[in-house]
Amino acid sequence: MFKDLDPILHSQLRLAVISLLISVKEAEFTFLKEKTNSTAGNLSVQINKLKDAGYIEVVKQFKDNYPQTVCKISAKGIEAFEVYVNALKSYMNPSGE
Amino acid sequence: MKEQQFSTEESLQLIGEMIGKAKRSYVSKGIASIVWGILIIFCSIITWGQIEFNIDIGFDIWLLLLLALLPQVYFAIKEKRGKTFIGHDEETMHYIWISFTVCIFITSFYNSRWGGESSTTLIMMLYGIPTFITGGIFKFKPMIIGGITCWAISICSIYTPFKTDMLLMAACGLFAWLIPGIILWKRYKKQQQVHV
Repeated sequence: MFKDLDPILHSQLRLAVISLLISVKEAEFTFLKEKTNSTAGNLSVQINKLKDAGYIEVVKQFKDNYPQTVCKISAKGIEAFEVYVNALKSYMNPSGE
Repeated sequence: MKEQQFSTEESLQLIGEMIGKAKRSYVSKGIASIVWGILIIFCSIITWGQIEFNIDIGFDIWLLLLLALLPQVYFAIKEKRGKTFIGHDEETMHYIWISFTVCIFITSFYNSRWGGESSTTLIMMLYGIPTFITGGIFKFKPMIIGGITCWAISICSIYTPFKTDMLLMAACGLFAWLIPGIILWKRYKKQQQVHV
């Protein structure tokens, strides 16, 4: 029986953001934008969706008088990512070998 | 990158690609390592030269290490400001290197108070600790080898006079910092060329 894939994560940009955030302690919006080659508007929308799902924490602050958005994966986000990867593996290898 | 549905294969490929991109962002220029390596080698050889040729330069050459801290702190702050992410191990590394620096300066004060020629073994042993840990955490073999070399050299120094210890300390500077630093710098330059 195939496990359902988390619809929040099964989207190209959101998965890219979560994959980046799982690899670092925290990252600025500019880092995510550069690595995903996305537009600021689209990235902003997807970050909000991940935030609303409780998968990431977003802190808006000022750095050298410029606004700065810092994103960090949450414990719920890590768990969701692990479940998602395991589900993917079960799709790739249905016999479980 | 647009928001769109995609296959499981593409999902796994994307995860791997993004983790790889994040990993490649951990780039160290190796400048701090090169500077410390050169300083340790320079100070050790000058100290050796003073004993060998019976000359006195009039001040403690090791004070250069204190002076070198200022530009190091400046560049570290500048680098931190320009960074757009924080790695998982960065905080750990900061604490390890701060502990090392504090231990080295406490040992130096001990030496200046009690004339600790025999503590060169201890100093070289200390050199090995953060170098080995850094190499291990970042899977950077030259630093793992550098750390082990420092410990091997510190064992040798138990049986050698202070003058020889200074040459051994220069070897520690070479293996623990200068060589790994140059390798990091070359890697950084190579990566810069790829992105141009």
